[in-house]
Amino acid sequence: VNVGVAHSEVNPNTRVMNSRGMWMTYALGVGLLHIVLLSIPVAWTLTNGIHNLGMYVFLPAVKGTPFETPDQGKARLLTHWAQLDYGVQFTSSRKFFTISPIILYFLASFYTKYDPTHFFLNTAALLSVLIPKMPQLHGVRIFGINKC
Amino acid sequence: MVDPGGGAICNGTLHNQSDHCRRKNCTKNGMVKEAQQNGNSNFYKPMVESFEEAPLHVMVFTYLGYGIGTLFGYLRDFLRNWGIEKCNAAIEREKQKDFVPLYQSFENFYTRNLYMRIRDNWNRPICSAPGPLFDVMERVSDDYNWTFRFTGRIIKDVINMGSYNFLGLAAKYDESMKTVKDVLETYGLGVGSTRHEMGTLDKHKELEDLVAKFLNVEAAMVFGMGFATNSMNIPALVGKGCLILSDELNHASLVLGARLSGATIRIFKHNNMQSLEKLLRDAVIYGQPRTRRAWKKILILVEGIYSMEGSIARLSQIVALKKKYKAYLYVDEAHSIGSVGQTGRGVMEYFAMDPRDIDVFMGTFTKSFGASGGYIAGRKDLVDYLRAHSHSAAYATSMSPPIAEQVIRAMKFIMGLDGTTQGLQRVQQLAENTRYFRQRLSEMGFIIYGNEESPVVPLLLYMPAKVAAFARHLLKRKIGVVVVGFPATPLAEARARFCVSAAHTREMLDAVLEALDEMGDLLHVKYSRNRKSARPELYDETSFELED
Repeated sequence: VNVGVAHSEVNPNTRVMNSRGMWMTYALGVGLLHIVLLSIPVAWTLTNGIHNLGMYVFLPAVKGTPFETPDQGKARLLTHWAQLDYGVQFTSSRKFFTISPIILYFLASFYTKYDPTHFFLNTAALLSVLIPKMPQLHGVRIFGINKC
Repeated sequence: MVDPGGGAICNGTLHNQSDHCRRKNCTKNGMVKEAQQNGNSNFYKPMVESFEEAPLHVMVFTYLGYGIGTLFGYLRDFLRNWGIEKCNAAIEREKQKDFVPLYQSFENFYTRNLYMRIRDNWNRPICSAPGPLFDVMERVSDDYNWTFRFTGRIIKDVINMGSYNFLGLAAKYDESMKTVKDVLETYGLGVGSTRHEMGTLDKHKELEDLVAKFLNVEAAMVFGMGFATNSMNIPALVGKGCLILSDELNHASLVLGARLSGATIRIFKHNNMQSLEKLLRDAVIYGQPRTRRAWKKILILVEGIYSMEGSIARLSQIVALKKKYKAYLYVDEAHSIGSVGQTGRGVMEYFAMDPRDIDVFMGTFTKSFGASGGYIAGRKDLVDYLRAHSHSAAYATSMSPPIAEQVIRAMKFIMGLDGTTQGLQRVQQLAENTRYFRQRLSEMGFIIYGNEESPVVPLLLYMPAKVAAFARHLLKRKIGVVVVGFPATPLAEARARFCVSAAHTREMLDAVLEALDEMGDLLHVKYSRNRKSARPELYDETSFELED
């Protein structure tokens, strides 16, 4: 099971978010999560929280690839966010995944009627997900988190 | 006199590049008429290739499927890590737990959690010759595919839709193979030396002369292994300071050879002539990256038939581009030699091109000839250079004599030199089988990729679970297919790949098609949204007779 042997794409992780239907799947997934959580009173904050937690884990926290790539381990030190599109900033996938937590944040703030506690939690979650995506932080490891 | 190798050029500019013009039989400069008079009927033949996109809901479900698989994978990894579930994979010894780990466990995530579940569809051992019918050893797994055990039974007479047996020459021993047996007895099996030392036999010379005659070129050289032909000879042809323009979907051997050579590699979109032309223009105008010097050589690497897509390279347009921008062309005809073209001579014959236009012909003997090994053919000075400088000639053992004899026998059979027309009949039978199979499949509503004339037929399945179900059910009905999933194809485009053979009879193809029909309904894989009518002649206006 070798990656990238039938076509010249060395690391498929870079292109997977650009594939057709991936954005719709993502949107549907979030919608599904929200519907499941609607039964609990703090539905929107929970959705926001869980979504941001998931996004934090999968995109800027986990490093490497789930398959062996023929690029001799260059991708092992990079998180998935850094691997997207081979590190080119401001591509459409990156913009989409930066904007989507912001939209969720707006919706969550609106539906919780700007309550202070909810506001605090939502903002913290949003910042934890937005800051690692900024281009200035591409490849930067603060406080030794995720180093090597 | 029209030069038939001129490609689609009129007035020296590339007007007729689009397929639109080809289908309408352009009459600019009267070129069409002359081409028809010269009997080059494929010159302006419309290339019908289709790569239909699936409906959006299919893609969404595919990604959801992978997502759920990934989530469960994380769960199982967690359980295995904390000892709740038994770990079946290899683990390090107790004494070495503190050493630096050899492998990153995350890198095997996909293999461990997704591939293992459906692993029984690959690496199935067979125990007969891979003819149109073959025998498969039955194996079961007690622990969900971590280990397999053979029951001892053999599933006999499975219809073989997976082997690259295009002309049906990979069969059990019969009397026509007597020459191979004699050569085996005279020469033995091993050669024991490289081409440069003592490994050049008279069989090799005979074979090389025959290959040159078959392809209508000046000279040829044969090598013992098909993959190694590409990866060992491209470094001998190009080096640092050269540019390689390689198609997106080139085979691993071409990619490896290109990387080993040290040249700069640029990739153009699959079969896309605009992308190739843009790259050529940039290369010629801007030269090498920092010094802006001219490139020493520009080599275009394409394949005859791409095995994962079933598409055929647009050779006439590529040759036109190569002449305009003065680049070299290397065509890898691994799948197309012996299987396309009116007499089986490959894509060069399919497009009715002049052999002098293509600089390096490469091909393998593994697919249509039922042997092993590869060849490189072209002008005599090219082949003489390779004889001296090829890495494979210096370090690798040469081809084994019985295999050389098998190729000689097969080539004589195809060319008709053994006195019968059976070879030609087989080539035509293959073309007929291909057309029939493809037409029936697209009528049924499956999404099929590739050119109408290519004997490699990929049928798209998309979802990973359907891939496994497809292969397992078909084996139960005694049909053996090859399915390919994510790492070898793009993430969402898993497929089953059929290889039509001249040895398949109409009954076998009908049996397969019937089974596929039922499988398609059972698994809901008939995604195609353009159902063609059952009478294709309605689409080709030139042969449609209007009745008044």
